[in-house]
Amino acid sequence: MDKRVMKAKNMQQASLRSRTGKLTVQFFTYLFLIVMALIVLFPFYWMIISSLKTLEEYRLNVPTFWPKRIMFSNYAEAFTTANLGDLFVNTMIVGVSSTLLSLIITVLSAFAFARLEFKGRDTLFTLLLATMMIPGELFTITNYTTVTQLNWMNTYTVLVVPFLVSVFYIFLLRQNFLQIPNELYLAAKVDGTSDIKYLWKVMVPLALPTLISITILKMMGAWNSYMWPRLVANDEAHRLITNGLRNAFTTTSGDVNYPVQMAAVALVSAPLFLVFIFLRKYIMAGVSRSGIKG
Amino acid sequence: MKVTLQNLTKIFPSRDKKAGSEVVAVNDFTFEIPDGKLIGLLGPSGCGKSTTLYMISGLQKPTSGRIFFGEDDVTELSTEHRGIGLVFQNYALYPHMTVKQNILFPLQNLKGKDKMTKEEMLERAIEAAKLVQIDELMDRKPSELSGGQQQRVAIARALVKMPRVLLLDEPLSNLDARLRLQTREEIRRIQKETGITTVFVTHDQEEAMSISDMIVVMKLGVVQQIGKPQEVYDDPKNLFVAKFLGTPPINVFNGQVKGGKLYIGQDAVLDVGDVADQEVAVGIRPEGFELAEDGAFACKLNNVEVMGRDVSIVSTNEASVNPVVRAIINADNKIDLTRAEVRFNLKPHKVFIFNKETEERIGFEVK
Amino acid sequence: MVDSKQQWKAWLYLSPAIAILLVFTVWPIFNTVRMSLLEGYSGLKAAAGMTFEFGLGNFQKVIEYRRFLQCLQNTALLCVLTVPVSTLLALLIAVALNSIKPLQKILQTIFFLPYVTNSIAIGMVFAAMFNIVGSFYGTENEIIVTAGIINNVIEFFGGKPVNWINYGSTYVANITVMVVYIVWNALPFKILVLLGGLQSINKQYYDAAKVDGTPRRRVFARITVPLLSPMLAYVIITGFIGGFKEYTSIVGIFGEQMGPPDDAGRLNTMVGFIYDALSTNSQGRASAAALILFGIILAVTLFNNNVIKKHTHY
Repeated sequence: MDKRVMKAKNMQQASLRSRTGKLTVQFFTYLFLIVMALIVLFPFYWMIISSLKTLEEYRLNVPTFWPKRIMFSNYAEAFTTANLGDLFVNTMIVGVSSTLLSLIITVLSAFAFARLEFKGRDTLFTLLLATMMIPGELFTITNYTTVTQLNWMNTYTVLVVPFLVSVFYIFLLRQNFLQIPNELYLAAKVDGTSDIKYLWKVMVPLALPTLISITILKMMGAWNSYMWPRLVANDEAHRLITNGLRNAFTTTSGDVNYPVQMAAVALVSAPLFLVFIFLRKYIMAGVSRSGIKG
Repeated sequence: MKVTLQNLTKIFPSRDKKAGSEVVAVNDFTFEIPDGKLIGLLGPSGCGKSTTLYMISGLQKPTSGRIFFGEDDVTELSTEHRGIGLVFQNYALYPHMTVKQNILFPLQNLKGKDKMTKEEMLERAIEAAKLVQIDELMDRKPSELSGGQQQRVAIARALVKMPRVLLLDEPLSNLDARLRLQTREEIRRIQKETGITTVFVTHDQEEAMSISDMIVVMKLGVVQQIGKPQEVYDDPKNLFVAKFLGTPPINVFNGQVKGGKLYIGQDAVLDVGDVADQEVAVGIRPEGFELAEDGAFACKLNNVEVMGRDVSIVSTNEASVNPVVRAIINADNKIDLTRAEVRFNLKPHKVFIFNKETEERIGFEVK
Repeated sequence: MVDSKQQWKAWLYLSPAIAILLVFTVWPIFNTVRMSLLEGYSGLKAAAGMTFEFGLGNFQKVIEYRRFLQCLQNTALLCVLTVPVSTLLALLIAVALNSIKPLQKILQTIFFLPYVTNSIAIGMVFAAMFNIVGSFYGTENEIIVTAGIINNVIEFFGGKPVNWINYGSTYVANITVMVVYIVWNALPFKILVLLGGLQSINKQYYDAAKVDGTPRRRVFARITVPLLSPMLAYVIITGFIGGFKEYTSIVGIFGEQMGPPDDAGRLNTMVGFIYDALSTNSQGRASAAALILFGIILAVTLFNNNVIKKHTHY
């Protein structure tokens, strides 16, 4: 055979091989991702179908993957057993008030660090950043004593005030403010705009995505907080949702009425998912920068 | 290695699906690149020159048409089997590897009978580094090198596996002016020494003219003209090519042909033989002017720029398409700056006339 | 140039933040160190007017305490097991996600879902999945009546059901459950960060590698991983820090007894130890443990930083 033809044939084969190779890799990539996605999703699926089963069906030796009889009454039972209505109201009170106050404090501080000149600014900022290294439990020990002495036990105050300042959020917002050119501030000064008006009219709108991220993370924090509320405000009147859920269903292993328990878990999880669906962009942006849950 | 492009076409689907208009990046490009030559693909941005280069490299697949390396049809062949070297515009040096590791990298991929021992690889890497004169810098990281040095490393990395074809994407655009001059000589030298068929893309006509064996001028995906740099310069096929080549750029006027004479404004500037009467666009190279007291072409004198050996006479003319008319003449000529008018005679082979609508060149006999 | 009007204005704006930080952040730092150095310090006893001797007794007691060593072991074990597993899995998923076009957005969203959960609530779901109904206060010989879904799956593939979290379950089984849950929980953040890193790598490096015919595996090992190393380092360090503060995920699965019904506290962690000491009003001991935790986190971070500096190249 002609050498040239042979070479052409070899090249064709090589290209064919590389193309089928590419397809196989694609196939396994998708296979891997879809299997992993199913594993990730499975607990949610299991939570939902379990919450809709009767206790008898749940206890069947061979599990069913779709409830035979859909029991929405589990949700009603969960709602009353765990007293979710009150817990929800408490959590919203704490979440909304701490988010609002925290936003105001964060904006003011970030503005001072980003735009105003004062003695010791950089030293102070570095010191603040250094505190981020310290695990929160270290503060809790003393704060527990402090709030006892302040007579704040079992109040909303104790759930809101100690966590109003987040150095990380100040840092995040300051970085954002720094990207806004200083000329804008100087121009506003020339026009006689007050600081507060400038903040409100220029900086806040420009930093809105960051502020939304902070809001969501802060709300999620209230929703998910567990340790501190358990220590300082575990009474009926002020109990938050996570503690309420844990208290209502103390045992997790053994012969438990799982359908009702799963219904309660689903009810507690639902608001988080709703927020996530509508504000995914902001949550993901905020999280990739923080690495802190809640 | 001869490279043949046959009716090469690349159509990108429109980004906005609703609008539906697709983009023809390269349209029906046919050209045979002779073995061992340095070819410059030249054109303004968006003309399809980079797309052509990427199709030769195999990183992009043509919509239709074929590509041959020698006699082998490589159109369907994936990049890694084509045996090409590619130098990227930003060099794409791996930032975490030293110069040596960067140059060795392509060799370490070789498999089967091409596989080399460590010693062979190192020898080849040093050889390539010597060729581009960076053998002193082998243990540095790319971030510790200047732009020109990074460029050389990128070339060494492309050359080390002895490619059949070397492709350079805007190789000089990231260098400062002085380095650019130096590096383009360097590229010419390396290409001559290795004899590898080389294609490079640039938007800078001076760069392309100065080092290419042949240039390809492109506009909006369509090849305008192919040829040796001097030939294309002296004999442009259309107004676009004439305008694109040459610094300072060609002077363009609105003119007309009447009774075998070319008129610019009221001045009959040149005999154009048997060209039919019509409106035309006239291109006159800056070096196509001769100062003459009784010259046929009159312009209003603005000022004179001295450029050493030459002087550039800047003037205006009502029929000029450009704001000013620029003529370059020998510095020995004395110009009286107080005069309001300059008069020129034109060198016929530096004057081109073009059809007003199609902008195609209209040839005429020079008497 | 510092203008005095800006001075007082700045401090005015900062005052709410500073006031709260002084009370709830700065004071605790000093106070924790103080309490840890007062032997046997207790808030209640201090309020009653008792004084305490200065010394390192708290640290000594904490270290000698058997429960503390158990907590330390649990925490370290969970870190060492979960961080590599979750990082590797997240890396594979991120690379796979980055290489596809159709379905990328939806899969990315799915992989992020575990992040937006309440770790106590979903812990209860995991507990349900690993639970064995029927052997709850049982003896060793009791027959398992109904298994949780995980055991159903194991049986389906011909394996033997395992007592994961119930009465009489083994330590290994408990830890396995925790590793699965923590990895599941840790994936979203890591995938998000790594995918972000991958997408910011200049595509030309891959084109260059393609021109040279670099095999996929080599591209991954020699280009992707090194260029991703800053992100990997970030993910690993935050993973270790999070791991050493592990607590609520265990409460989610095992409840506050932090272990199976027959061995409460078996899975307790450093943070759990601190809270236990606090709830018995042993602030001295709690402070000492908190400082030890801080020291460990600091050491691990510095160690990781050093290792990473040696292996990241730019």
